Amino acid sequence: MKVGSNLEKVLAAGHFAATGELGPPKSADAEVIRKKAGLLRGYVDAVNITDNQTAIVRMSSISVGVMLLQEGLEPTIQMTCRDRNRLAIQADLLGAAALGIPNLLCLTGDHQSFGNHATARGVYDLDSMQLLNMVRAMRDDKQFACGEEISVEPRFFIGAASNPFADPFDFRPQRLANKIAAGADFVQTQLIYNVPKFAEFMKRVVDMGLHEKCYILAGVGPIKSVGMARYMQNNVPGLDVPEDIVARLKGVPKEEVRQEGLKQCAEIIQQCREIPGVAGVHVMAIEWEAAVPQILELAGLLPRPQV
Amino acid sequence: MIKAKLKPIAEIREMLAPYEKVLILGCGTCVTISFAGGEKEVGLLASSLRIAEAMNGQAKTFAEATVQRQCEWEFLDEVAEQINRADAVLSLACGIGVQALAERYPDKVILPGVNTTFLGMAVEHGVLVERCRACGDCVLGQTAGICPIARCAKNLLNGPCGGSQEGKCEVNPELDCAWQLIYERLERLGMLDRMNLFQPPKDWSKDYDGGPRKIVREDLRL
Amino acid sequence: MSDKNDGPARGQEPVPPCVAACPAHTDVRGYVNAIARGDFEEAYRIAREPNPLPYVCGKVCAHPCEDECRRGDVDEPIAIAALKRFATERHDLSLGHAPGLTVAEPKEQRVAVIGSGPGGLTAAHDLARLGYQVTVFEANEELGGMLQVGIPPYRLPRETIDLEVAPLKELGIEFVTGQRVEDVDALLNDGYDAVYIGVGSHMGRKLRLPNVELPDVWINTEFLHRVASGEKIDLSGRHVLVLGGGNVAIDCARTAVRLGAVEVSMTCLEGADNMPAHDWEIEEAEDEGVKMYPSRTFKECVLDDDGHIAGMRCVQVDFRGFLPEGGLDMDEFVDTDHVLAADLIIFAIGQGPDLSLLPEDGSIAQTRRRTIEVDPKTMATTKPGVFAGGDAVTGVGFIIDAIGAAHTAARSIDAYLQGLDPAALQPPDPVKLGDLQEKTVSHIRPLDREGMPKLAVDQRKATFGEVDLGYSEAQAVRAAQRCLTCGAGATVDTDKCIACLTCVRVCPYEVPLLTRGTAEVVFDQCQACGLCASECPAKAITMTLYTDEDMLRDIKQAVDMAAGNGKPAIVGFACRYCAYAGQEPEVVKATLPENVQTVDVLCSGKVDALYLLKAFEYGADGVFVAGCLDGECHNEKGNVHADQRVGYIKGLLDEIGIGGARLEMFNLSPQQCADMTTAVGTLAATLEELGPSPVRRH
Repeated sequence: MKVGSNLEKVLAAGHFAATGELGPPKSADAEVIRKKAGLLRGYVDAVNITDNQTAIVRMSSISVGVMLLQEGLEPTIQMTCRDRNRLAIQADLLGAAALGIPNLLCLTGDHQSFGNHATARGVYDLDSMQLLNMVRAMRDDKQFACGEEISVEPRFFIGAASNPFADPFDFRPQRLANKIAAGADFVQTQLIYNVPKFAEFMKRVVDMGLHEKCYILAGVGPIKSVGMARYMQNNVPGLDVPEDIVARLKGVPKEEVRQEGLKQCAEIIQQCREIPGVAGVHVMAIEWEAAVPQILELAGLLPRPQV
Repeated sequence: MIKAKLKPIAEIREMLAPYEKVLILGCGTCVTISFAGGEKEVGLLASSLRIAEAMNGQAKTFAEATVQRQCEWEFLDEVAEQINRADAVLSLACGIGVQALAERYPDKVILPGVNTTFLGMAVEHGVLVERCRACGDCVLGQTAGICPIARCAKNLLNGPCGGSQEGKCEVNPELDCAWQLIYERLERLGMLDRMNLFQPPKDWSKDYDGGPRKIVREDLRL
Repeated sequence: MSDKNDGPARGQEPVPPCVAACPAHTDVRGYVNAIARGDFEEAYRIAREPNPLPYVCGKVCAHPCEDECRRGDVDEPIAIAALKRFATERHDLSLGHAPGLTVAEPKEQRVAVIGSGPGGLTAAHDLARLGYQVTVFEANEELGGMLQVGIPPYRLPRETIDLEVAPLKELGIEFVTGQRVEDVDALLNDGYDAVYIGVGSHMGRKLRLPNVELPDVWINTEFLHRVASGEKIDLSGRHVLVLGGGNVAIDCARTAVRLGAVEVSMTCLEGADNMPAHDWEIEEAEDEGVKMYPSRTFKECVLDDDGHIAGMRCVQVDFRGFLPEGGLDMDEFVDTDHVLAADLIIFAIGQGPDLSLLPEDGSIAQTRRRTIEVDPKTMATTKPGVFAGGDAVTGVGFIIDAIGAAHTAARSIDAYLQGLDPAALQPPDPVKLGDLQEKTVSHIRPLDREGMPKLAVDQRKATFGEVDLGYSEAQAVRAAQRCLTCGAGATVDTDKCIACLTCVRVCPYEVPLLTRGTAEVVFDQCQACGLCASECPAKAITMTLYTDEDMLRDIKQAVDMAAGNGKPAIVGFACRYCAYAGQEPEVVKATLPENVQTVDVLCSGKVDALYLLKAFEYGADGVFVAGCLDGECHNEKGNVHADQRVGYIKGLLDEIGIGGARLEMFNLSPQQCADMTTAVGTLAATLEELGPSPVRRH
């Protein structure tokens, strides 16, 4: 047991984990957090808090993480390499650990040109691989990146992102292996809509025995509208949205699309559960946190196990 | 080579507003090759500015000259007379040349007429691309000759990121993903296992993060 | 120009093969280019400069230049002689026959010129311009030598000869006609300080064959002389056989046709492919019905029952040439005797000079072929003070050879009379450009050689009217635009060159190279398209035939002429390959209103982006570039570059605020010049809406 967080314990016990995600507000309004927390409480094993996602400035992941702890949920904070150098990252992680945050997802981060401050400098002092390695070394070697000893080390259950659908496709399982070697304890994948392709990826991952070294959580999320489906298909790099996914939503009357999207998501969860090596799901219902309990209900993942 | 691009005319005119006798000084090396500041461009810019002046009934004069390289003191000395006659010098050299002029002629107003953009090459005539970031610690030997600092938008050393799609970068679909190129090149060289080597964090102090850099060759000093 | 230019060493600049091949080293390239540009007076001036007989040469020169023309590697040579003719026809004689040529202060020395053929006239002209007192002695009543008595009027009208001779009289040359010089020494004793012998080769001859002494067996030179002196020889109903295959034989044959002969044939030793006459003369003769019987030797004149000439008995041969020591390299085919029927036989098998005027003591030596011996470098005979040239030295040759020899002799006489070594005043032999490389040839656009309009064949046969009618202006301009402008292209200033490789990449003809770290436009290969010069970012490349300064001056002039009449001042850069090629250029220009002035270029690719801006800087309200259609550019893609520059400058004009809509590019086909006026009209309408250029307001 690295940290003994709820998420870690659920996974270690062999349960199919379910995590959710919370997008912080573009303001200093703490009430938003309390409301969203209420929607998710009790339905998921841990909650990811994004870190200036798509390079849009939002309330910081660590601060929201602390608020979630106060609200009785377990946070998984996210840390990108885009906005902070290695000094700031290490300092923030010391603070996050001191404040009791147990889970950490290490990411490179969407490029600043996507967001609302496109003229900002992108830091990229480290990349995600180097970040994973640094965090693991802090925890297991009790060392800062410069080599100095840490008297009381920050302990995190370390996560990484994995995109089975990016290129070079053949390289992605190996990249996952590299991330695990660097320090990933668990992995959350990019949104899965192309289940067969994901299965192909997982087959190779299992062949490499990676599922035994790291917990792999499949990323899923409901599509609200046909327009959203099209947008994700054409405008979001790294997403693979097959045509039949879109067709299914087009096939129902407009007022039923949201519900159909929920059902679709739940089905994908069930399909992923069948794939060997998949240890859980990570549900990303962007600005639709209320959908998470419905999806997990439909997928038969409620109630969550108590460990 | 250093590549540059002419500043917008409006911006140039705004800079030149307070001055009457302007010398447009071109440079015969890098900016000539990037078609931004050589003798030809000096002529085109001078004519453009004269037209703009005439349109607004103003009386600025634009003298034209070009030196072989603005980053050598001796070449700058050659145009002392023209510079002294001018109220301001609009240098079409890269930032190095502009600064050299300012240092050599500290009592003169020296203004930049081009934006120095990057270190790069012409992959085809008229198409200039960035290739080097002068990071001071070249890693091209590890990445099969493709620079991840200059050509990856996130300067990843352990790439690619999840935004690499069909060989293109998520930031600009016209940009090749540098790590896709590195992957393919390593594959071609039979060195794909290098993709699994962990590249530790870069020593940015060798880049400008460590402050403006200097090379001294004691063996060459006169 | 910096000394470090990549061109050849000063003073020994290689010349195109046309210039080198011309015995007078006429600047062919110069006058052809002038015609291509539309500057016909300049063309005349250049053609006249080394040649006092440009009108004559324009009509009857053998044009050895055309044989060497490098365009021949691509398709057909340039019609150099026809273009000279055009330049003379367009020359305004009220400006004088030799505008700009000077005459030195009179000198005391006297020179005698014997013979008023092209050589004698040229020697007299040169010496008179050098200030010497010249007297020309001509045995015939009329001046001109072989021009007058050898070349028939249907090739060279008599008026043309008169035109060339008249200005020579004005130079103060004394002409004494009807006086045959019997003794050269007598002239020297008579106070002439030097003598030029240009007596030509006026003595035709017969072979010693049976019956040649009969009345109906004539000699070429005598026959043509009689016709030239005005004798009306009626050959109606006659069957004429001309012996010989050269140009004089052709002249005899075609003259006989015009004198009414019912049948005219020619027979000669040489095979059909090797007849010494010019191809085009053989063709014209055949068009007029002259029959050719090559590859025959002549055995005897056959008689009819009344003892009159009935034909020539011939035997078929394989003739390979005259042997140097005399005799023929020839095989006769056994049992091929036959008779070519004729009742009049004319010998045209060769001519020699009448050397009876030479001293009997042999002080003026002769060659073995019985012509006058001279030092080829100076034209000096073996007697000091006596010089000779032309057919009297070479045997039958070309007019232009006689002219070239006379120039040399005149320089020698000038040196001799100053007590200098005659060789001292001779210019060095020109260095010739190399051959065109194949890859460049492959990019040169093939263009048909313009056909010379001729009198219809049936009219030709009936009169001595001139056969060739001369090029129209449109034909001449098109013909001149085929010229490759050899050796007068782009040069790189290696001090400014930064080896950016733009010229190497841009050249449609694969000419520039990198040499010792800088670009070199290979002198021999450059086609003078102007693209490298207008693209070079370092302004390191200049063009031989025009400069930026020339262009800017023309642009300023155009703006000034276009402005000031209440309408938009429009300056156009018009490519002469398309904007005028289909019609008379002056006709097209006349249809453009006064507020539209064009600056002509040979290819829109020569229009530097700077010229477009400068036109506006000088105050133009609107500017256009007229170039060829896509794929039709004379230089493959000059028009594409022009179009790209127009796009770039339009952007700049928008940035400046004067408006890119004031600048347009039109693409035209040479057949559709009317489209230019329409296109210009559209631009003019836009400009009316935009109003006058804000530059001129202030």
